[in-house]
Amino acid sequence: MSLIANLLLGGIFHAAVLFLVAAGLQLVFGVQKIVNLACGSFYALGAYFGITLVTLAMNFGLPAWLLLPILLVAGVLMAAVGPPIERLLRTVYDRDESFQLLLTFALVLMFQDVLRLVWGANPQSLNNVHLVYGKLTWGDLSVPVYNLLVIAAAGATAFFISLFLRRTNYGRLLRATAENRAMAEALGVNVRSVYAVVFTLGTMLGTVGGALVVPTSAASLDMAIEFVIEAFAVVVIGGLGSMPGALVGALLVGLIRAASLVVYPEFEILAIYVIVIAVLLFRPSGLLGKAAT
Amino acid sequence: MRLSRRRVLKSLAATGAAAASPGVFMPALAQTGPLKIGILAPRTGIAASAGISGLAATEWAVEKFNAGGGIAGRKIQLVVEEETSPKDTIERFQKLVQQEKVECVMGIVSTGVGLALGPVVEEARALTIYWDGTTQDGVDEKLLNPKYLFRSTDNECEAVMSSLLAIKHWKGQFKRIAGINPDYSYGRNNMAAFIALLKRFDIEHEVVTEQWPKVGTMELTSHVAALKAANPDLIFSSLLFADLPVFMKQAHAADLTKGTKLVFPAAGWQHTLMKKDFTPEGMIFGHNTLYFDNPQATPMQKEFVAWYAEKQKDYPNWEADRAYFAIASYKEAVEKASKAKSGQWPGVDDVIGAMHGLSVESLGGKGGWRKDNIADQTFVQGFSTHNNKYDFVTLDPAKIETMYSADLQKPPGAKFWDWLKTAQFKI
Repeated sequence: MSLIANLLLGGIFHAAVLFLVAAGLQLVFGVQKIVNLACGSFYALGAYFGITLVTLAMNFGLPAWLLLPILLVAGVLMAAVGPPIERLLRTVYDRDESFQLLLTFALVLMFQDVLRLVWGANPQSLNNVHLVYGKLTWGDLSVPVYNLLVIAAAGATAFFISLFLRRTNYGRLLRATAENRAMAEALGVNVRSVYAVVFTLGTMLGTVGGALVVPTSAASLDMAIEFVIEAFAVVVIGGLGSMPGALVGALLVGLIRAASLVVYPEFEILAIYVIVIAVLLFRPSGLLGKAAT
Repeated sequence: MRLSRRRVLKSLAATGAAAASPGVFMPALAQTGPLKIGILAPRTGIAASAGISGLAATEWAVEKFNAGGGIAGRKIQLVVEEETSPKDTIERFQKLVQQEKVECVMGIVSTGVGLALGPVVEEARALTIYWDGTTQDGVDEKLLNPKYLFRSTDNECEAVMSSLLAIKHWKGQFKRIAGINPDYSYGRNNMAAFIALLKRFDIEHEVVTEQWPKVGTMELTSHVAALKAANPDLIFSSLLFADLPVFMKQAHAADLTKGTKLVFPAAGWQHTLMKKDFTPEGMIFGHNTLYFDNPQATPMQKEFVAWYAEKQKDYPNWEADRAYFAIASYKEAVEKASKAKSGQWPGVDDVIGAMHGLSVESLGGKGGWRKDNIADQTFVQGFSTHNNKYDFVTLDPAKIETMYSADLQKPPGAKFWDWLKTAQFKI
């Protein structure tokens, strides 16, 4: 029993991490129709700055239980890189998708160098400060409460984004812009401002995700690329631009990966991409995405 | 002699070919002025920390050598290029040799890049010394008997040493073994070498799971869960990038490290990230060819470690030693060859000849070059301890083991996997 619980929790934790990266990608694509490869860089930026802020806070003698709010603040602060980058992306909104991909990929490479200049080439890591919240132990099962908090944060993110998009006026405005930009503009919606807000929100999802995950992991120069590839698998499975799709896709990827690691570890990567290919063949719009008309 | 158009063209072609061969013309043209040495090292990406460690050691060595008059009287000038993909690295190598006219190229951390570059080195006839990246598979097939290329010790040395230590100290204390190793030739070979040695010494064992995360995977909770489900007595792991401290942290949080024997031959690549908080005492911990806190350290190692700590705010790993060893042995070889030629600047063949049989005091201990252009170096491993002044684990001074690679790698001409079955190991 504890074996299954261990595997489930491992898979769900991985899914939560993936969802936090993929959510920003989905939001930006859903509204701005830009495949933002740099979402992985925002994740890395949040992770690095999270370590810096936590280290500073601990040096100033703040209690360790403040870890979670400090990391949230780190993620929110780093979202400040969103508006200038959105300003840069305006140059390619009306151009071919390949320009958008090239520009956002260039950003990934540039961010890698910026991270190296600021934090150095060595990976960065915190000590076990996340265990300040304790561990949940039951039989053979032992899981840090912090991991459960990350899972809860991912769930809460999905819930509040959904609430924001469906129940608030600004959310309706975003959905209207996503559906028909020209019509929204004609009706007086300031699309430039909407794009800036959406991109900053997407950036924040990435930076907060990175900051939240780093206490259980580490920050390294190549982490941006590592997660963005898996995040793409998530959005292909769930449906590009669909937030519930991102959640379902992340859960599927996380759980399939966890199961394959026990059943046949050689299939860890293969299992995920077999599903990606199956989705592309039989349901190209993704499990919860809208079919192109 | 009558001059025909064909004869003139032939002469021009021969002159052009000779001019394009750095091995033929370079030493004669470059006897005055600074001695250019090309460096190919990763400064970004997953291996950046290794590249920067190696570069720092090279710069330290150059500073010291130049202060003492350089190499055979010529001051060293470094030309640094990036090691990235095989294709781009080959282009940069060619730039170093053809444009910059360097007399020796050093660097290379990745086995994949090293394999691709090897034939280019031989074709260019440019003396090249690799810091690292000599993994068996591929090397056996693609880099047979090179003349101009000098390669590091076999990458499996550390796995062989850790396996021998596990057998020596823990024989009879484990049966269920598990592995978590990076999914490329290095990780696969190390795990296979461990299992081969268990068989070689008739150690009863059962492989309960083998996990192969791709290199640099930063989220390993599912792997940890799978390992825990397999309930191993011993875990063998050659993780060595940022994934190593991540694994250790997540394994500790899941209580996987409690009561499980751990054999980590390459942990020293990330030693300062292996915090006491989550890295247990008593694990077999490999520092490869440089253990920064070695109680038997030479004054030179102590001086370097102090300089590195001051400059980099960190402690060096083995890539620093590999880089120092490369440039120090080149210096020794050039000076030996120059002496043999009564002070004349030696040709590339003279330097190659002088490399063989050298004995060089490197940062981590003595080293030398075999006739087949493979390095021999000193390896250090031991058992982790929390009893130190740092926030990360070091080696228990009472349990440090030192072995020379002649006892850890296949002899010239032998096949690694066959050699493992018959070698006489000193355990």
